[in-house]
Amino acid sequence: MSAAGGAVQAQPEPLDESETRRRPYGLLLVAAPVLLVGWLVIWPIVSAVIRTLWQPADDGGYEFTLETYVFFFSDRYSLDNLTVTLWTTGMCALFLLVICLPISLYLRFSVGRLPAYVQSLAIFPMFVPSIILAYAFIRVLGPNGMVDILLNAVGLPKIRTPYLTPWGPVIGLVWDNIPLTVLILLSGLGNVSNQAIEAARDVGARWLQVLWYIILPRIGNSILVALSFSVLGIFSSFTLPYVLGPAAPEMMGPFMQRTFRDVNDPQMAITQAVITFGFCIVFGLFYVRSVARNRGK
Amino acid sequence: MARLDIANVTKLFGATRAVDDFSITVTDGELVCLLGPSGSGKSTLLRMIGGFEKPTYGSMTIDGEEVIHLPPEKRPTGMVFQSHALWSHMNVFKNIAFGLKLRRLPKAEITQRVEAVLDLVGLKGFGERLTHQLSGGQQQRVALARSLVLEPKILLLDEPFASLDQHLRERLREEVRDIQQRLKITTLFVTHAQDEALSVADRIVVLRDGRTEQIAKPAEVYRTPATPFVAGFIGQMNLISGVVSEGEFGHSAFNVPVAVADGPATLAVRPEALTLKPASGVGMGHVHRVTDYGTHAMIDVELPDGERLKSMMPTADEWSSMQQVDLVPGAFALYRDNAAIYRADVGTPPRKAPSRTRGTVNA
Ligand SMILES: Nc1ncnc2c1ncn2[C@@H]1O[C@H](COP(=O)(O)OP(=O)(O)OP(=O)(O)O)[C@@H](O)[C@H]1O
Ligand SMILES: [Mg+2]
Repeated sequence: MSAAGGAVQAQPEPLDESETRRRPYGLLLVAAPVLLVGWLVIWPIVSAVIRTLWQPADDGGYEFTLETYVFFFSDRYSLDNLTVTLWTTGMCALFLLVICLPISLYLRFSVGRLPAYVQSLAIFPMFVPSIILAYAFIRVLGPNGMVDILLNAVGLPKIRTPYLTPWGPVIGLVWDNIPLTVLILLSGLGNVSNQAIEAARDVGARWLQVLWYIILPRIGNSILVALSFSVLGIFSSFTLPYVLGPAAPEMMGPFMQRTFRDVNDPQMAITQAVITFGFCIVFGLFYVRSVARNRGK
Repeated sequence: MARLDIANVTKLFGATRAVDDFSITVTDGELVCLLGPSGSGKSTLLRMIGGFEKPTYGSMTIDGEEVIHLPPEKRPTGMVFQSHALWSHMNVFKNIAFGLKLRRLPKAEITQRVEAVLDLVGLKGFGERLTHQLSGGQQQRVALARSLVLEPKILLLDEPFASLDQHLRERLREEVRDIQQRLKITTLFVTHAQDEALSVADRIVVLRDGRTEQIAKPAEVYRTPATPFVAGFIGQMNLISGVVSEGEFGHSAFNVPVAVADGPATLAVRPEALTLKPASGVGMGHVHRVTDYGTHAMIDVELPDGERLKSMMPTADEWSSMQQVDLVPGAFALYRDNAAIYRADVGTPPRKAPSRTRGTVNA
């Protein structure tokens, strides 16, 4: 810089200025989907919440009221339904973890033809519609189903069928959610390199220690994602609890449907929906948080 | 720290013989390099010693104790993998401390031993770093420290620096050699880089298709390679196929007197042992290309049959392309049936082949 002399030094343009300039285009690109989501998802939620909070008053106007919520949370039957929904969801999450983790570990760490068959078997429920699954469940585990007939043939007493008990939906929903859970766990396990595991064994870790100290911490996020995905679906599921579950208490899905259709109380049905949504959003936040944590790394 | 005996070990993967009837005794504190081209079974051999693969046949003892049936976690070996073997959910300290923690050592001792080994590998003060905050070279040092902290009887290194650049590789292998000498730890080092093997090893094992070609000290492997494969694999070597008859090795371009029985043979001569002489008139070959390396020059000589030989000369000045030259081999060796049959330390000047060309055999 000879000519510049004592003049103000020209500041070099920051190279990443273009980044900030490009941002509006990126926003434009996502604007359409965001608007669509806003219209189809966010707005109905907001409107539902508003409709449960501002209800028609006697004078023809609208007034703020918590009436339906108060009713829901003081009504024995509604609370039972909420409890059984939470219980079913928790049970399903537990069973999914207990069943899917060993399956995915097996699929990840064994080689040959057999794991391929096991994998297709584990993914199979994904292609079976819930209603067919429910029918199969009734034919196998229902009263006078295949299991009963087999037991009878060898002179054993009948089973107490889970059909029309809270266990019915649990069994059906677990079966239904195995594929998704296995797939998500498998993708998580794919990130654990063989060498990382062999290195752990090399320094003296036995299999359980490898699982506990090396594998589980690395797939913690996948477990969280898998569980929040299936839990979200299970909490608000309809078909399987409707067909396989008991008449009372019933899960939130059938409960809403019955309140809306049979009892003809849309106001109450919407309240139940908002409450269900409230629980789902908690699971959703779990998912978002784990994704964000992953991104941060 | 220990002695390793491997006897007649064979490993089959289906029909593939990854390691074929391999035997060696590695003595206390020795550093042995396993050298060979890709797929020659180096990793498989090392993984069998570490317990990650089970030999199909054979036996392996460490200090006289049979280890073949022991899983990796029960073997007194420590392995450093090529890459991706650090546990990314733990920081450097925890990576190194993991093995000690499994052994339920008191906290104070763990801290002290980890600090000591971090110091040893030149990573003092890096304990709190996460593994992804380290460079490739630092990561491999952590991997080394993780093995060393457990004071294994035998250290196994599977191309630990293969993913690093040349300079870093040279520096790290010197460091490994220093540490190994200081700790007197019996070490097996897998590499496919011959310079790496030549510079750090006490002994080199040259493998080819799972079989031992030669086990010897680096200088010996370089000076007296046992087979033409070793001759060609270590350093640069001119391999010339020809036929021995009536006490002379014959090639279309030249003949060299040798005292071996008649038959086909391969002559091996290093570029630095092959001197050139400007020819008066038509020579044994002509200069094809001259490459000046500053410290020396490499002259490619083309023989009349198209075969090319390399000759190392002190300077490039006297040589130019298409110049007619004669060859003067110094030390050379003759191979037949994958074994050396003749070695000449000082060359006898070769004669130019008579124009009635002898039957030549070219590889
Ligand atoms: N798990 C396995 N299953 C089948 N074949 C294998 C397996 N591991 C190795 N092999 C085969 O064994 C032979 C030796 O492999 P190995 O990995 O020991 O070679 P290497 O000398 O380490 O090669 P590189 O320098 O490329 O690492 C190869 O032919 C390879 O294909
Ligand atoms: Mg290898």
